[in-house]
Amino acid sequence: MVSRWMYVSLVILYGFLLGPFVIIFMASFGENATMAFPPQGFTLDWFANVFETSQFIDSFWISLQLALLSTLVSLIMGMPVAYALTRYQFAAAGIVETVFSAPILVPGLVIGFAMLNFFVLLGDMSVFTGLFIGHTAILFPYSVRVISASLRNLDPFVEDAAVSLGANRLRGFLLVVLPNMQAGIAAAFVLGFITSFNNVPVSLFLSGPGVTTLPVSMLSYLEYYFDPTIAALSTLLVIFTVVLVQAAERLLGLSQFV
Amino acid sequence: MPYLEIHELTVSYEKNQPTLKRFSLDVDQGELVSLLGPSGCGKTTTLRSVAGFIQPDAGRVVVDGRDYTALPPNQRDIGLVFQSYALFPHLTVFHNVAFGLRMRRVPKKAIHSRVAKALKMVGLEAFADRRPAQLSGGQQQRVALARATVIEPQVLLLDEPLSNLDAGLRVEMRQEIRRLQQQLGITTLYVTHDQVEAMSISDRVVVMNQGEIEQIGRPEKIFATPETAFVADFMGFDNRFQAAVLSTQGSKLTVKWGGAPVEMRWRSKFGSPQSGALAEVFFRADDASLAAGKEAVGLAGQVILHTFHGNEVQYLVSTEFGEFSVLQDSDSERFEAGATVTVLPHTHKWIAILDETERRA
Repeated sequence: MVSRWMYVSLVILYGFLLGPFVIIFMASFGENATMAFPPQGFTLDWFANVFETSQFIDSFWISLQLALLSTLVSLIMGMPVAYALTRYQFAAAGIVETVFSAPILVPGLVIGFAMLNFFVLLGDMSVFTGLFIGHTAILFPYSVRVISASLRNLDPFVEDAAVSLGANRLRGFLLVVLPNMQAGIAAAFVLGFITSFNNVPVSLFLSGPGVTTLPVSMLSYLEYYFDPTIAALSTLLVIFTVVLVQAAERLLGLSQFV
Repeated sequence: MPYLEIHELTVSYEKNQPTLKRFSLDVDQGELVSLLGPSGCGKTTTLRSVAGFIQPDAGRVVVDGRDYTALPPNQRDIGLVFQSYALFPHLTVFHNVAFGLRMRRVPKKAIHSRVAKALKMVGLEAFADRRPAQLSGGQQQRVALARATVIEPQVLLLDEPLSNLDAGLRVEMRQEIRRLQQQLGITTLYVTHDQVEAMSISDRVVVMNQGEIEQIGRPEKIFATPETAFVADFMGFDNRFQAAVLSTQGSKLTVKWGGAPVEMRWRSKFGSPQSGALAEVFFRADDASLAAGKEAVGLAGQVILHTFHGNEVQYLVSTEFGEFSVLQDSDSERFEAGATVTVLPHTHKWIAILDETERRA
């Protein structure tokens, strides 16, 4: 039975989780030039301002390209690792798994700082390349984990079955294993994309003149202006993320892997 | 000439610790042979070597005169049924069964008719469009059978196909497998650790232990006359004791059993046993009976425990030779714990085995 206290604590919990979003959402429609709550009046000007600020548009495209590219590459790299970890037993498996999980466990700021130093040592490298390498590195463990989960759900003997029926190893993989990894790969893609798109700490260090990601440019905008443009942009980003996750959940049952 | 010939197969996963030691077995066309043994005895290794998933260190696998040993598994003409069924979860029953035919580039029309026929044989023609997850365990196993047999392989291999099913279904499925195998006349190797399953399904049974063959024979023969202590133990001779051989006459020997000597069959790796040699005597719980009190013949003892099984009562009797388990009809005379009884042997079913280095009392 749900007691009254459980009900009350649930309301409080949701209040803390969703309250900030409600405030941002409402503030983004206010007419005042500084963010205020409760907002006064109603205007869509701040949303218009988002699309007129080139800093946001440019960094949005960079974030989008960066997220797509680094997610894709981390998936391509993660697939064979996940396959090896789930299908073969080898002495170093534990170590490999720990090393590949490191980017999840180490604070993002530390990773970003370490990579910045490392890339400086390496010398000439475009800012975008640095961002791309950094993001791929932090996404990689997510790819490995999510794809591993989908592989663990698949009976390892299906490959032998395919081979015994006349398929060679490659065809067995393509015809039997890959189709059953699809949902896992898609889930890893959505998760990776969102992780990269929202990342601040690593991007903060690796961004450079003229090349910056959307969250970082939002931060720097906030240093100079406190108008509701940021609130409007945040509202758009929340909607974007929620739509993406919901679509993935409906289509693929994302939650069974994460 | 045997249809499937396994010749001195040796497989080691670790150096100098062969899992399979010079294993040889000939199987005739259309015959069903079970490999029976505890886990780790090498039966699955044998099966996977025949399928080509394990490359043996030495030895050969020959099917119908063709040397299979160096052939990769996808080029062998073999149907394989797994313990976990290993159905393709993303494909319908129809496409699961059609997979092997598609790999063999059978024309589409022929695929349709052959799959339909195979599904009909296992009684699943109505389930062609289902996914494996929508089927029961027994149905999944039927699909796996249809998938492995529709390609009309030269040899069918079954790896503990029933151990994921519950007891009732297991009996039904093993009859079904046997019926299908005989109908198709397909040469079959069947791996199991369940002696009842092996007995009921096989033309011949191979009892394996630590990578070697302990005994090969018809089920009736192995059941009644184990050649080694291991086989006797595995075949449900639950009672054993050591006894000195009093005398040997042809195929019979005598050992002491309480007041009088008893005569029984013997098996030895070392020729006719001398008197004084130590034999292991084996008998099943239902190959002895109990009489009240002490009798002149038979071995006296005390009832420690009795358990009611329905048609039978099982007694645990403590004697000077050790504890023995004896099954009695439940409508025969009952004995309480502590009662003095005499264990009377049904000696024609008892067997004395001398398979370790000959020991003397």
